[in-house]
Amino acid sequence: MTSLLSARGLTMHYPGSTSPALDSVDLDIVPGTSVAVMGASGSGKTTLLHCLAGILRPTTGSVMLQAGSGPVDVAAMDDAARARLRREELGFVFQQGLLLGELTALENVAVARMLAGVPRAQAEAEAQQWLAHLGLTGLEQRRLGELSGGQAQRVAIARAQVTGARLIFADEPTGALDSATSVEVLDLLLAAVATGRTLVVVTHDADVARRCGRTVVLRDGHVVSDTAAPAATAATGTETAR
Amino acid sequence: MSAPAVAAPRHAGAVATALHLAPLFARRRDSDRLATLLPVASFMVVTALLELVAGGAQAFFRWDDDLAATYQTLAVIALVLLLVPLGTVGASAARLAARRRDERLASLRLLGATTGTVTALTVLEAAATALVGALAGTVLYGATAPLLGLLHFRGEALGGQVWLPWGWLPLVVLGVTLLAAVSALAGLRAVVVTPLGVRTRQRAGTAHWVRALVAAGVLAVGLLAVQSLSLFGQMGGVVAIVGVLAGVFGAVLLAVDAIGPWVLRLRARRRARTARTVPRLLAARMTLEDPKAAWRQVSGVAMTSFVGVFGAVGLAMASYTDTADMPADERWLMHDISTGVLVTVAGSFLMVACSVGINQAATTLDRAAVHVSLDRLGVPRTVMAEATRRAVMSALWLVSGGSALCAVVLLLPLVGMAIFMQPVAVVTAAAVFAVGFGLVRGAAALSTRLVPGILARPERVL
Repeated sequence: MTSLLSARGLTMHYPGSTSPALDSVDLDIVPGTSVAVMGASGSGKTTLLHCLAGILRPTTGSVMLQAGSGPVDVAAMDDAARARLRREELGFVFQQGLLLGELTALENVAVARMLAGVPRAQAEAEAQQWLAHLGLTGLEQRRLGELSGGQAQRVAIARAQVTGARLIFADEPTGALDSATSVEVLDLLLAAVATGRTLVVVTHDADVARRCGRTVVLRDGHVVSDTAAPAATAATGTETAR
Repeated sequence: MSAPAVAAPRHAGAVATALHLAPLFARRRDSDRLATLLPVASFMVVTALLELVAGGAQAFFRWDDDLAATYQTLAVIALVLLLVPLGTVGASAARLAARRRDERLASLRLLGATTGTVTALTVLEAAATALVGALAGTVLYGATAPLLGLLHFRGEALGGQVWLPWGWLPLVVLGVTLLAAVSALAGLRAVVVTPLGVRTRQRAGTAHWVRALVAAGVLAVGLLAVQSLSLFGQMGGVVAIVGVLAGVFGAVLLAVDAIGPWVLRLRARRRARTARTVPRLLAARMTLEDPKAAWRQVSGVAMTSFVGVFGAVGLAMASYTDTADMPADERWLMHDISTGVLVTVAGSFLMVACSVGINQAATTLDRAAVHVSLDRLGVPRTVMAEATRRAVMSALWLVSGGSALCAVVLLLPLVGMAIFMQPVAVVTAAAVFAVGFGLVRGAAALSTRLVPGILARPERVL
């Protein structure tokens, strides 16, 4: 099957650092799958996610994305083009949720559509549907401070999907949640995969990785394991053959 | 190998401990440099403006002829009008200095520092920051005072008369430093410093509709009083007229200040409902977060706008009168009042612009994480910049427009006559207001220059 995202030779050097955060990483992600990226702190997993999502431009290498308009090399795009790509083609669910504290839950979701030029009434109607779908009926007018951690992550998941993004990046989406809420949030993310979306999730949590279809393990900027089966032990330091 | 020996704790006093810690806290990583420079720059601006205003006002006290007392009275009025917005700038600088140290205070508490040590360190740091800023401000005053000296009164440039007596400068520097220390102490009373962070003791203020009712009543009474000035004149002469006018001025300005945040909240709420674009929606929501703070940021211009309308109308009426038979010095007085009104309005806007610039820079740094988050989501940088600018300008329009409107209501028949008889004077005043608005808008936009620096090092804030 054609890859939705294909990274080749990804290398990332941060200024002032002697060793690369990523070193010649190759990765293919096929549509409709879930991929967990694991590794110890400093292994390069968040850097990898940022390079794949166009948040960072790698020092060398390419990231080919099958965008709506055709294949594009994310790594070769300028800042403005990458920002537009993130806004229109990708969805994000991060540990902090990246929600705006001043806005209501409904507005936080609707803003993603308004930025694409959709009239506010229509954007809010679509946002309302997604919030209802994710079990947030009645909480639409609440602001970030009035939502629990799990509810805020649901809002972030709604925002990631309302634009129709086919590829969702999640960075420690359950990192700040209790175990029961973590399960609920992961259920919702995997439900998105069941509808044909693709999920790339960076996590420390072996339970999260276990539920994903594939696990990629990084160490010192290298991929040390890429398996369909969970690789929780590798993430915690056990050697795993590729 | 044996573990290193642990020295027994020595129990030093809070001030002594703070003095030991102060040099450590004075060191900064690169990431903190901007956060440190900003309060210093703020105190620099405050000091320079204070010295310029005081220098300009005292120039008139070097005169001792027949009309000197009139000029000196007007200079004191201008001084009072300018001290109000200057106080806003000073408060902004003090708040900014306090906000920047919150995180480190919490770390100190985590290490077991006493409340006394935290308080002493806070006051020491604020005083040191203000002292450096005030010294730099005095240098800035030295560089800009010659420009103030170009102003013409009685047909001559003020020139060297605007220089403050040298002995005053250390007093101003000391005064700014002490005020910063007192503000820091007062600021600490409004927050609780815990080992896990700093939280405010109270929520953002809300405004109540009852204030609107009181304000409308005050305006109605003021209108009645102004319409009955001749009656007061018959009862108590000029003293009664001046007293009534001063009372009306003060009461109406207090009413405007009381009603302002409430009106701002109402308008922001309506705009939040009807906003069609993201920047408009964000601007309205940012205002709704704390309408009082949004109002306070630009409230310094209220008194100036109010007096500006009085001044413009008065000048228009005066210039319509036949001055051919007036002595030369009285003709100069009429002309100089016009210059004074415009300089005061311009100075007031300059100070509000400084206040807005300082506040917005602090807000941008405080919301660094939001800027990084929005960037990661692909939100164009212009969105947040436009939202910030809209939030500031919306409050400014209301402050300035509301105050001016109150003045127009009080002087209703005269305003119409002034526009009809002396449109040039009214247009000149309007032009000064327009430039002032532009200045504030520019100051609000300046803070967006900080965003690329924040986005270049996102790991600092997330």
